[in-house]
Amino acid sequence: MLMRVASNSYTNAMLDQFNTLVARQNTLQSEVSTGLSVQTPSDNPVAMQNTLNYLADNATQQQYSANISTLQARADTVDNVLQSLQSASSQASQIATSAGNVTTNSPTQLATYADQVNQLINQVVTAANTQDPATGQYLFGGTASGAPPYTTTTGANGDVTAATYNGNSTVNQVPIGSNLTATVDIPGANPGATGARGLITDQQSGADFLNHLISLRNDLQAGDTTAIAGTDTANLQHDENNISFQVANNGVQQTKLTAAATFATNNTQSLNQQISDASSANIVNVMVQLSQAQTAYQAALESGSKIMSLSLLNYMPA
Amino acid sequence: MLGLFSTLNLASHSLQAQMTGIEVTGQNLANVNTTGYSRQVVHITANPDIQTGIGPEGTGANATSIQQIVSNLMNSQIQSQNSTSGYWNAQQSALQSGQNDLAEFLSGNGSASGASATAAATGATDTGLDGQLSALFNGFQSVAASPTSVSARQALVGQAQTVAASFNGVNTQLNSINQSLNASLTSDVSSANQLLTQIATLNSQITSAQFNGGNANDLSDEREQDLENLSQLTNISTSSGNNGAVNITIAGQTLVSGNTVNDTLQTYDPGNGNLLVQTTKGQVNLTLTGGSMQGTIDARDGTLATLQSNLNALASTLITQVNNVNSAGYGLTGSTGNSFFNGSDASTITVNPALVTNPSLVQASASPTSPGDNTVALQLAQLGTTPQAGLDNQTFNGSYASTVADLGGALDDANSQVTNQTTVTNMLATQRSSISGVSIDQEMTNMMTYQQAYQASAQLVTTVNTMLTDTLAMKTS
Repeated sequence: MLMRVASNSYTNAMLDQFNTLVARQNTLQSEVSTGLSVQTPSDNPVAMQNTLNYLADNATQQQYSANISTLQARADTVDNVLQSLQSASSQASQIATSAGNVTTNSPTQLATYADQVNQLINQVVTAANTQDPATGQYLFGGTASGAPPYTTTTGANGDVTAATYNGNSTVNQVPIGSNLTATVDIPGANPGATGARGLITDQQSGADFLNHLISLRNDLQAGDTTAIAGTDTANLQHDENNISFQVANNGVQQTKLTAAATFATNNTQSLNQQISDASSANIVNVMVQLSQAQTAYQAALESGSKIMSLSLLNYMPA
Repeated sequence: MLGLFSTLNLASHSLQAQMTGIEVTGQNLANVNTTGYSRQVVHITANPDIQTGIGPEGTGANATSIQQIVSNLMNSQIQSQNSTSGYWNAQQSALQSGQNDLAEFLSGNGSASGASATAAATGATDTGLDGQLSALFNGFQSVAASPTSVSARQALVGQAQTVAASFNGVNTQLNSINQSLNASLTSDVSSANQLLTQIATLNSQITSAQFNGGNANDLSDEREQDLENLSQLTNISTSSGNNGAVNITIAGQTLVSGNTVNDTLQTYDPGNGNLLVQTTKGQVNLTLTGGSMQGTIDARDGTLATLQSNLNALASTLITQVNNVNSAGYGLTGSTGNSFFNGSDASTITVNPALVTNPSLVQASASPTSPGDNTVALQLAQLGTTPQAGLDNQTFNGSYASTVADLGGALDDANSQVTNQTTVTNMLATQRSSISGVSIDQEMTNMMTYQQAYQASAQLVTTVNTMLTDTLAMKTS
């Protein structure tokens, strides 16, 4: 038996259908405009939870990338300092070699060498007190980096007679990945047998660059070519070796940072893909669905308007 | 044999009967859009025959009753489903508010609007605490990367203030929702009491009308509407009383008995500020089983209470863990023992004002003589990826994501239930409408039928009148 249909059933049912279709169009339009199928927790709680977890992981990866960038910039600065120290070390060795040859040096020549070494001492002190241009942090003070790591004592003639290290031998490790840290910091001095090797003074390598330069200058001023050819030259070789080690080590750290940066970028891309898989809309599907919903809405409006306008009343005599 | 005068009388009754039919049709048409109206039909019954020498002869017809077409079964089902609908609608509304106030949404940049099969990979960003917590722990990492940088510390303190402000804001909003839900419950109770009184009054009017032999069709419609409105507020049981009265029982308490309201409802505070419902006179605490009242109570004391509790646990654990690590460290000035966060939960968490004034006091170093040390900053950063015992061994972000998903799941469930209930109630309404609703086509057909019958009866009067005139003319001519 056919169900009897009351007049208001038309309108009520049509209103519900219109509401459903309009809501559907709104949802799909929102997905198209944002590119997201999940925008609120209730849209898809599991996908939302996964997306939030991925976003948190992604934020961590991006912080690793930021840390790597910070360290890379710092490593570049350190590298510049190391290059200048390597140059100073080379010059000092050349002076020692030249001055150690007793047949070719006059007192005047030795005094000239002494002046050159004095300049090198000042250059080295300045280099050892270099600050990170981004943060102002002293690069070679260890973790006691709030003040210049090196201070000097000068004699009556203005020559540096002693250099004091105010830093420590500890360096900071910075996270560059999950359970992965790196450091490009170098302590100015490490008087111990363990830990990071010092840049200027290091027990493990026998380096003590500033004091060795001061000794060289003093020997040059005293005309002690024996000491210059012997002790000073040998000491400067330790310094040069130590600086070469630091240059190589800085290169290793930079390579490590580059690898970590690539790893972080890959992780970020992978996480972005996971975020996309969890929350992004399939635009082609959504566009098709939107088109279907629009067609259905138009059909409902058209058929509704035709049905609504008809009743027996239309055919009764006036 | 009837004779002309009796036939005229018969025609007169017929005219009245058809007129009643037209009147009822008019009443139905007038109420075609009236909510809750049940169509009426007029019953026209043939009058008793009289025996004549040639057999029984009819004496016409009279309109004997006007009947309301209702289905008590459908009404009962609709009341029951209304209660379920009211429950889920209240849940949906409350949880939607919770979701809005938590403000944890994903936003897209529209980069996926091209014709590619999948959306752009970097489209989603979140807007709530999840990203802010990540930024906080990343802030600790930034300090670890540049421990002597005051600007890194300033950025960290700023992130911490954002996190604290979000906790405070969400907590305030959830408290506000709680108060709104209490107010909603009170309003529902007030509406229910009003409906109970109206139903008792209608009971009185209906029984009175029926006692006097009449009918109370429109009053019954009005009462049915009240019952359906009441069932949206709470689950009710009804039973038939004397002379068409309806008795109402809520949670085992008979509140309306015939014409009398035995008791009404009121809210009470069980001690925690979350109102519940009891009877007014008897002060019997009620365990409601449906309707918007229980939906409100369940949303408030269930999902939303859990949400607030989880956020408090998250804030409390964050405060404790960060302070434990931070207080053992040393600031750039050598300071130690300072807290990073003040407060104890989501409502009270703030950043230590001393750090806001002077970010150098953030204690990132493990040594008073090494202000450039980052040991403590690293430990603080590692808190972000460390499972916390106080958070069911989840990380801060993981715990928060679970909390968000729990709320989303509850709202998703409520949305589905509301959709399902809408389908069910629409189906029942259509079914009831097929029985009780007014069809304009049908009424127009009836109108034509009664009109034709009226015209025929009128023609009968004219004919009899002519015949009487002819008869009288026979006498005078």
